[in-house]
Amino acid sequence: MQQTQTAIAIPGYRPGKKALLVFFETDCPTCQLALPYFNGLAGDSLQVIALSQDDEARTQQFVKQMRITYPVELDRGLTLSRSYDPQSVPTSFLLDENGAVMRLLVGFDKAGLNDLAAVVGHSPIAPQDDGAPAWKPGCSSRHLEPQGDGASPEDSSAPLLRRVGEPATRIELKGDVDPVEFCFWQFGDALPVVPPTTERVAAILKACALSPESVVARVPPCYGEATVEKIAANAVMAGCRPEMMRVLVPLVRAVCDERFNAHGVQATTHFAAPLVIINGPVRQELGFWSRQNVFSNVARANSTLGRALQLILLNMGGARPDGIDMSALGNPGKFASCIAENEEENPWEPFQVDRGLRREQSALSLFAAEPPRGVSEHSAQRGETVLRAICQALSTVWSYRMCMRNEAVVVLCPEHVKTVHRDGFSKQQVRQFLFENTGIPLRYYASQDGGEGTQLVAHYREIKIQGEPCYQKFSSANAIHIVVAGGTAGKFSAVLGSWSTGPAGSQMVTYPIPEK
Amino acid sequence: MSVTLVHPGNENVPQAAAPPARLESLAGKKIGLLDISKPGGSFFLDRLEKILRERHGVAEVIRARKPTFAKTAPPQVIEQLRGMDAVVEGLAD
Repeated sequence: MQQTQTAIAIPGYRPGKKALLVFFETDCPTCQLALPYFNGLAGDSLQVIALSQDDEARTQQFVKQMRITYPVELDRGLTLSRSYDPQSVPTSFLLDENGAVMRLLVGFDKAGLNDLAAVVGHSPIAPQDDGAPAWKPGCSSRHLEPQGDGASPEDSSAPLLRRVGEPATRIELKGDVDPVEFCFWQFGDALPVVPPTTERVAAILKACALSPESVVARVPPCYGEATVEKIAANAVMAGCRPEMMRVLVPLVRAVCDERFNAHGVQATTHFAAPLVIINGPVRQELGFWSRQNVFSNVARANSTLGRALQLILLNMGGARPDGIDMSALGNPGKFASCIAENEEENPWEPFQVDRGLRREQSALSLFAAEPPRGVSEHSAQRGETVLRAICQALSTVWSYRMCMRNEAVVVLCPEHVKTVHRDGFSKQQVRQFLFENTGIPLRYYASQDGGEGTQLVAHYREIKIQGEPCYQKFSSANAIHIVVAGGTAGKFSAVLGSWSTGPAGSQMVTYPIPEK
Repeated sequence: MSVTLVHPGNENVPQAAAPPARLESLAGKKIGLLDISKPGGSFFLDRLEKILRERHGVAEVIRARKPTFAKTAPPQVIEQLRGMDAVVEGLAD
């Protein structure tokens, strides 16, 4: 760690007073989470200066959306980043009155934030119960990217990491070519699409603060560069309204997040398709539907967002269903699969809080899901009876004798939620009950027929469920995700199984959606 | 009337590389066997290794294994197979 960096001027810095330099990127989810916390720290005893590794337009947008109240400066040419050399962002350097580094804070770390506050004589700034995770790692600092903005010319041979792409080619269609038919064959999903004319794409780009050539992500498995303009063109084809870019940009980042592993999800022989779950005020703002027919063709927002994601995966990622996408049977969710949580009928915390975000934060979560399998339970008098019916559906996830490897999303309908909540279950208790009561009877393994899952029993955990010896289905209660959705009439819930999970498979990811 | 569209696809599709010339014979060659870690992959490759050694007189067999079939091979696994005359990527299930 360097102790002093007096040679390079820090914009806005006044010597003689302690200072906190916060290096950040506008598109880093951890920076988006962390920077608002520093609002509470700036004052008489400490000057807080955030240093953006991005351009002025994106930085201004970030400051507005994240409601940052302390000075934010641009690290032009990444000069200060090279000097202080943070390995990831956000990284904060606490400087003493002489500009020497006193301590470092890397990533988002509530305990570290509160320690930092204590050092400058401030009360804690990161409450433990505000819905944010205790800790979250950041992203690689721009100055370490081979072709980061302002990087040295010799690094410019690494096209995979460039942040600005080429403008999309313009395709001129003569008058005798029907644009709908042309796009249907060239760029479609086996349904007609809206032709992405320059006028329509321009209208969508107008609603988006990002520059059209900015590379948002590279889409596996062929790693096409999803520039803002390409995303907009696919959004037009899917029928999105311009304001949907606010959700689509973080969604493209999420689907390309290494933890989600779109490379595997898009090429597997399994059923998996990305399921999008929307939470927070964005539901009302953009018209996401969370009630009856939530998995169906009920709302433009759900259907067009889900379809735009799929078109981007096809056109930018290249896993076409007659090519690299090798799914044996496929999944109707590959046209579009987007639900919103019915937070109004959810007596517990909404789903994004389970995922580490605040209740008022709009968010999207992405899960590599099988199609929903229905659970009907219309006669149950007690919550426990409802949950036992769900346990039976959970026990069949992946394959009935396969244990410990998978996860599931349980979509509870409002009527089932009412019964379960009335009987005193918290959401954590629901998860725990489903975990402890989902298992496969040992007698199913007695035949030694070599079927799937039977070779792995050495890794299984033996439990008793209502007196019956069983292998426990899931590795932990955290493998079961609870979402409330659907109409207020009809006692039908659903279980959606996962693909391979954990670091070797696909992990659920949750991203904040910026405010309007 | 003509219409102008914005190209919505990947315009940097990598060109497929031409396959190397087919080996005339396996005798005396170095062969890599990549297990992608699907269940049963090792049985298949064990058998293949035996056949390569006993019937085809290969000089050397190098076995490499991906940590997970769900992701691409990490560089260190590819590195193990550098210098092979041929590589067999084994699937199973």
